[in-house]
Amino acid sequence: MEDWRDLAQVLLNGVMAGSVLMLPAIGFNCIFAVLRYPNFAVAGFATIGAFAGWVANAQWGMPAGLALLVAFLAAGAAGLLSEELALKPLRPAGPLTVAIASVALTILLENIIRFSFGNDLKGYDLPILRDWRFDGIRVSPQQLTNTAYAIGAAGALFALLAFTRLGRAMRAVADNPTLADIKGVDPDRIARVAVFIGAGLAGFGGMLIGLDTSIDPLTGFRVVLSVFAAAVVGGLGSIPGAALGAMVVGVGEEMAGVLLEPAYRTVTAFLAILLVLMFRPSGLLGARN
Amino acid sequence: MEAYLVAMLVFAGFYALMALGLNVIWGLTGMVNLGLVGFFGLGAYASALLTTKLGWPMPLGWVAGALVAAIAGGVMALIVARLRGDYLAIVTLGFAEVTRLIASNEIWLTNGTDGISGIPGPWRGEVSPQGFNLIFLALVWATVAIAFVLLSRLSHAPFGRVLRAIREDQDVAAVAGKPVLWFKIRAFIIGACVTGMAGALYAHYNAYIAPEGFAPLLTIYIVLALTAGGVGSMRGAVVGALFVMALIEGTRFLAAEIPGVSPVQKAALREGIIALTLILLLRFRPQGLIPERTRTRSTT
Amino acid sequence: MTKLNTTRRTALLGTAGALATFAIGGRAMAQNDPIRFGVLPPLTGAGGPYGPAMLRAIQQVVEEANAAGGVRGRPIRLFFEDDQTNPDAGVRGARKLIDVDRVQALMGTWASSVTTAVAPLCWENRVPLFTVSGADSITLLPHQGFIFRTQPNSRLQIATAGDWLAGKGARRIYHMAAQSPFAQSSQEVLTERMRAGGGVVSGFTIYEREKTAFRSEVDAIMRSRSDTVFLNGYLPDVTILLRELFRAGFDGRRFTMAYAANANTFQALPNEVTNGLITFQPSPDLNSGAFARLKNRFGATEVDPYSAQTNDHATMAILAAAQAGDASGTAIRDNVRRVTQGGGETVDNVTDGLRAITAGRAVNFDGASGPVSFDERGDIQGTKFRFEAAENGSFKLLELA
Repeated sequence: MEDWRDLAQVLLNGVMAGSVLMLPAIGFNCIFAVLRYPNFAVAGFATIGAFAGWVANAQWGMPAGLALLVAFLAAGAAGLLSEELALKPLRPAGPLTVAIASVALTILLENIIRFSFGNDLKGYDLPILRDWRFDGIRVSPQQLTNTAYAIGAAGALFALLAFTRLGRAMRAVADNPTLADIKGVDPDRIARVAVFIGAGLAGFGGMLIGLDTSIDPLTGFRVVLSVFAAAVVGGLGSIPGAALGAMVVGVGEEMAGVLLEPAYRTVTAFLAILLVLMFRPSGLLGARN
Repeated sequence: MEAYLVAMLVFAGFYALMALGLNVIWGLTGMVNLGLVGFFGLGAYASALLTTKLGWPMPLGWVAGALVAAIAGGVMALIVARLRGDYLAIVTLGFAEVTRLIASNEIWLTNGTDGISGIPGPWRGEVSPQGFNLIFLALVWATVAIAFVLLSRLSHAPFGRVLRAIREDQDVAAVAGKPVLWFKIRAFIIGACVTGMAGALYAHYNAYIAPEGFAPLLTIYIVLALTAGGVGSMRGAVVGALFVMALIEGTRFLAAEIPGVSPVQKAALREGIIALTLILLLRFRPQGLIPERTRTRSTT
Repeated sequence: MTKLNTTRRTALLGTAGALATFAIGGRAMAQNDPIRFGVLPPLTGAGGPYGPAMLRAIQQVVEEANAAGGVRGRPIRLFFEDDQTNPDAGVRGARKLIDVDRVQALMGTWASSVTTAVAPLCWENRVPLFTVSGADSITLLPHQGFIFRTQPNSRLQIATAGDWLAGKGARRIYHMAAQSPFAQSSQEVLTERMRAGGGVVSGFTIYEREKTAFRSEVDAIMRSRSDTVFLNGYLPDVTILLRELFRAGFDGRRFTMAYAANANTFQALPNEVTNGLITFQPSPDLNSGAFARLKNRFGATEVDPYSAQTNDHATMAILAAAQAGDASGTAIRDNVRRVTQGGGETVDNVTDGLRAITAGRAVNFDGASGPVSFDERGDIQGTKFRFEAAENGSFKLLELA
């Protein structure tokens, strides 16, 4: 790197990348907090969201904002459906079985997309704008909008959790399911809401990734390690942790991309997972394991 | 048609070896390893590189492939042995993906995504294609037989019993004075070794390997094989591998019957059915077709 | 953007092709043992825009040959598999064609990585391989004469391109190459030609083909202050790179191979992004009789350079088998040069060629892709090149060299 500008560019890229990673990571942790197992199918939900949004935008002509909503709803529905049909019946067998099933599930979802849309890269129907330059640092308007959307969605979730009754019920179940049950909170209903929101956020995030580049059936799977890294670094089950973890992973990956090779960003995620799980399994903000 | 069947049986042999390997790591010791394909790939690349770039004779290449994978297995075990089951799943998956990434980008070593072609095969070119396929069929299944016998014996020996004790409750095993970590490492080494051998044989059969042939999907095939055959049972591993092969090829013919379906869609159909079958099996018959006789609990 | 037009066209060509093959196969139930040829085109993937047409060109030649009585009375049967522009799938397809369908010649491989992966299978099983792939490493393989390449090799291509760019004033070229068997040799040739022309290669990056994001690479390009970017990749990644370069505000010359930027690019990107893009390709022999016939048969569909070559692949294989009186792979290999450059009356189509050979006369086939003559390594000799520039949604010819 030549001067401070290059460093600033890397940090900027990292924060942008992290904000997009944030949503699937929050979704992952949301599901983990309430249901206590890692649902790796968030990769599949992200891809479904990306493609649903693409259909809405490139084929039905909706503007990006509305298409994002479609992405959220479609992914949430897919999440809910697959949870009820595939994963929930496996819960008695333990988190490991569900985790394995969730990996199989993400492959199934990826292939449903592949069957419907093929392998070719697809782009959204958006105007292509020139980047803005500030003293040699460039940032694309698309990246900025993505970050804004991501922060907006995360903010909406925080508000939901902090201020609504539903949110309080979710937090109660996450903290102490038995107590919540005694107090009359229906655990099944909360579980469903958590999965819907978690999968929906993953789908929202999947579309944001695609907005900046392109989408194909592997869009979600490419980021699954980074998403899990963000969730683990922040602390499994912690939603603010997922946001923080995503930033850390985002910046870390960008730095690794510059220091090593751009292709090795995923290695950073993997190393992050290893280090955290070995030395600080509760992550930065997590409390329980 | 017979050539086709022979080729399918050869592949079933590779899957059987991998399933036997995974059975030692997961079935006996209870450590879910979703990165199995990484060992497969390491064995394949090691053998392919040594025979094409350095001119090593094939049998030596195969042994080297198995050894490289075994070493990687040991290293991996050192790192992940203490992790909780579901975390182990993603970490091992990550390991396989990172291996694939390195294979795709270190062009100087692996030729990147273009892959390595022209890998020699025993008497390939000197006999007819059918002859070569039959020779390899015998080779692979002889290897499967040897591995099966050795691993079955291992499974019933004290070593195997300790592994199963670790699987059921490793704290109890530790309290009983067993060096749990050392046992886990050895289980990983053995499982990785068998898988690496399968990879080496695959490279020489196919004559060509590339990073994208070593996708996580392959691990899911083997997980399915083991789940169908019965996790923990060596016989189940082999039966499960044949089952998965039948499923894959059966769906290929099924897809061929459906009109207007492109090759990409056919591939998606096949992969989707495999994933779906695994989920269904986990749901409805987790103990598999041949349950393990020495099981104490019916958990996965 | 919608890809319906291309997809529909592909589907139509594909269906027509399938029906044709079925028709051919049906008639092959006749008296003699049919001759079996295999085709391994990229029906999907980065080469997808070309595969169906390449296959169609071959099917048409085979139809014509069968109508003319086949090879000494033996009908020709065609088998094909999609290589998905992917070496792994290509190897699987080739194994099926060679092991199961037992084809006696293989044609139509497009991507250099696929051809490199498939070639050993071909020469080990004594099956001649006719390819349109350009990487020079391909004919350097120990193929024992079983490879025939109708595309000028990449050394020649890059040298021509480098000289042309230097002639147009390029002094700092950034070379962005997708992983392929010709990436490294392209770099060597480009560096050499630039140095001869008074310039440099200001940067060189090899990237993985499945890449979807190029932010850091584009940053590097911008920092290098290059006047030209050579996009040595394939359609999907080059499309993304063009978009990224536009966003980054790159205003220098953009140069790419024609197969990486074609009609699909105009559908995916707006004109302000594509205007000024320069493409480069070896040109088929537009004035030849063979090309005219092919153009006739293709009708509204434009004839791409690869279909012109596969048209020649099929014709050469058929005429070689007829000349040999034997359709084994080795016999075909030994007779290709006899029918393409061995002296004799000039023919430009398979019917005339078969007729002449049956009557005992020698032939010299001049095809749609050029006069078709191979050196000892299997490389084609003597091709023209065309340079085109994108202007408001279509390509305009700049120069024919």
